[in-house]
Amino acid sequence: MYKQLLAKLIIAIVCFYGFGDYSYAGDELNCVLCHKFRGLSRIDKDGKFRLFYINQELFDSGPHRRNKCKDCHTDINKIPHDPAKKVDCTQECHMVEPSSTEKFSHKSVAKVLSKSVHSPVDKNGKEKKFKEDYPGCKDCHDQPFYRPFSIYKGQLKAGVSKRGISRCKSCHTRGDFAEDFYEHVTTRLRKSRFPMETIEACAKCHQDKAFQERHDLDDVVTTYKQTFHGKMIALGSERTPDCLDCHVVEGENTHLIEAQDVPTSAVYKTNVQATCRTEECHSKASAKLAGFQTHVTYDREKYPLQFYMLVGFKALMAFVLYFFLLLIFLELLRRLFPGFSFFKEKNNNSGDN
Amino acid sequence: MSKYDPIVYQDGKRLFYRFSAHQRVQHVILFSSVIILALTGFPLRHAEEPWAKPLYHFMGGPELAPLIHHAAGSVLLALFVYHTIYWMALFYKNHIGKLKRENRVTPVNIIKEFFSQEMVPNKKDLMDIIHLWKYLLYFSKRPPRHEKMSWREKFDYFAPYWGIPILGPAGVALWWRDEFSHFMPGIVLNAAYIMHTDEALLAVLFLFFVHWYNVHYAPEKFPAATVWLTGYLTEDEMIHEHYAQYVRVMIEQGLEDQIKPQHFGGEEYEW
Repeated sequence: MYKQLLAKLIIAIVCFYGFGDYSYAGDELNCVLCHKFRGLSRIDKDGKFRLFYINQELFDSGPHRRNKCKDCHTDINKIPHDPAKKVDCTQECHMVEPSSTEKFSHKSVAKVLSKSVHSPVDKNGKEKKFKEDYPGCKDCHDQPFYRPFSIYKGQLKAGVSKRGISRCKSCHTRGDFAEDFYEHVTTRLRKSRFPMETIEACAKCHQDKAFQERHDLDDVVTTYKQTFHGKMIALGSERTPDCLDCHVVEGENTHLIEAQDVPTSAVYKTNVQATCRTEECHSKASAKLAGFQTHVTYDREKYPLQFYMLVGFKALMAFVLYFFLLLIFLELLRRLFPGFSFFKEKNNNSGDN
Repeated sequence: MSKYDPIVYQDGKRLFYRFSAHQRVQHVILFSSVIILALTGFPLRHAEEPWAKPLYHFMGGPELAPLIHHAAGSVLLALFVYHTIYWMALFYKNHIGKLKRENRVTPVNIIKEFFSQEMVPNKKDLMDIIHLWKYLLYFSKRPPRHEKMSWREKFDYFAPYWGIPILGPAGVALWWRDEFSHFMPGIVLNAAYIMHTDEALLAVLFLFFVHWYNVHYAPEKFPAATVWLTGYLTEDEMIHEHYAQYVRVMIEQGLEDQIKPQHFGGEEYEW
């Protein structure tokens, strides 16, 4: 009893003085006392490497920075703690959602997700085949970051503008509320991720060959990356569409991605034209633009036009280049034995060539 | 007919006229726009490659590079139209005009005149190709004797006449895709995409390997030919590449007695 008390006292003193700089508002249990160590990791019983290091700088730049550890990791009540359960994002956390008096939860998102193509159960409530392939929150969302921006004197810039936020701070003086709210809102005024990150999130499953075979899907990520849209994004543009821009109906919840054959889907054959022609995209185009094929695999059966054109161009290219390269090669070779010939010609010439 | 003398003398050496200033300027515009198009287009074609992003950003990045690409493409298309008009005007002036003066304007004569133009392939080119293969495969010691435009130069010349009609309209359709969609089905853009990107690759590989070999890398040309700047060829170059023209011009200029033999591989071949 005495020893335990002493240990607690030492921990308390260390936490208070030794690590004072590292603790943060949400860390009431002083979790960072241990989790700040970069090497904090172990191999779990399935042989999987688990890293428990928390990079506080990264954590502080994300939307969960005002949450206490225990808001999500509810089963941890003591230190040192037992292996924690997986976080359930749909549980209520202790934040109160400002537009109401209720505690906040991601339940509504889970509800939308359950109506989407990514739900492990179909609309009759029956489990789909390979249900373990269907994504949960964390398969697409890792620790998210704020991407605030500011417009000051008509100039759009990344980050928080001190001059801009000073207007908020003249009234909202308590704590970091102004900063939090500013980042919360401005981050959501544009896409909160770079388009490439979105594509890579989808690619985690959709570019996996075994996954494609299990679900009878084309390699939609690779084919997307071959389009002008995909290439511009690879070069750093944020103006061309990523997966979500075409696969979510304009104005609809981002989590409601529906299969191509669902009539309300953004990519259902009669809806594609509306999806392409939104105000920000091809607003001047006619509905015929929807005839453009995006995920072209160059498969002979599915995409005969593209297949034969590709073969034609490659053949032409091979013919022209090989012909001339052969000529150049033979010419260089000819210089090695300039005076040699199988036939003896008259000195002057044969014909006038 | 031409304000250029077929032969001029510089430091006691003979130079042979080949390209007018007008033609050289057209060529500079042509290759400048093609190089700019390639530098702003290929990073996009190979966007996943590690070199693509730095090069694209050097060329203006996603905001500016497409504008530069469109501008260079417009210049190239305008040049293509201009050159075609220039070529037709020359044909009318020098060939149809001659027929008119001689009162011989018949369809057959027009076709004959068409094939008598220096850029149009003819029977001699076929014979030159056959002779070239004989020479390359060691059945003849002497390379072919070309007129002013060898068959290879004619191929180079007509390459844009096959490349630009494929690349240009496809590029314009991809550029004005929204407007084009009012009278074209969307799948045409799929076709345009393949046409534009694959034909561009062929064009650039051809220019880089074949054309630049012919004019710059070949041992007797290396490191670079100067005719595209000066418009004149040296006597050595004429003898080596355009012997038939060399002999013709020398005779026309009354210098028959000064014609040098074709020399190759340590041997000389009298004309």
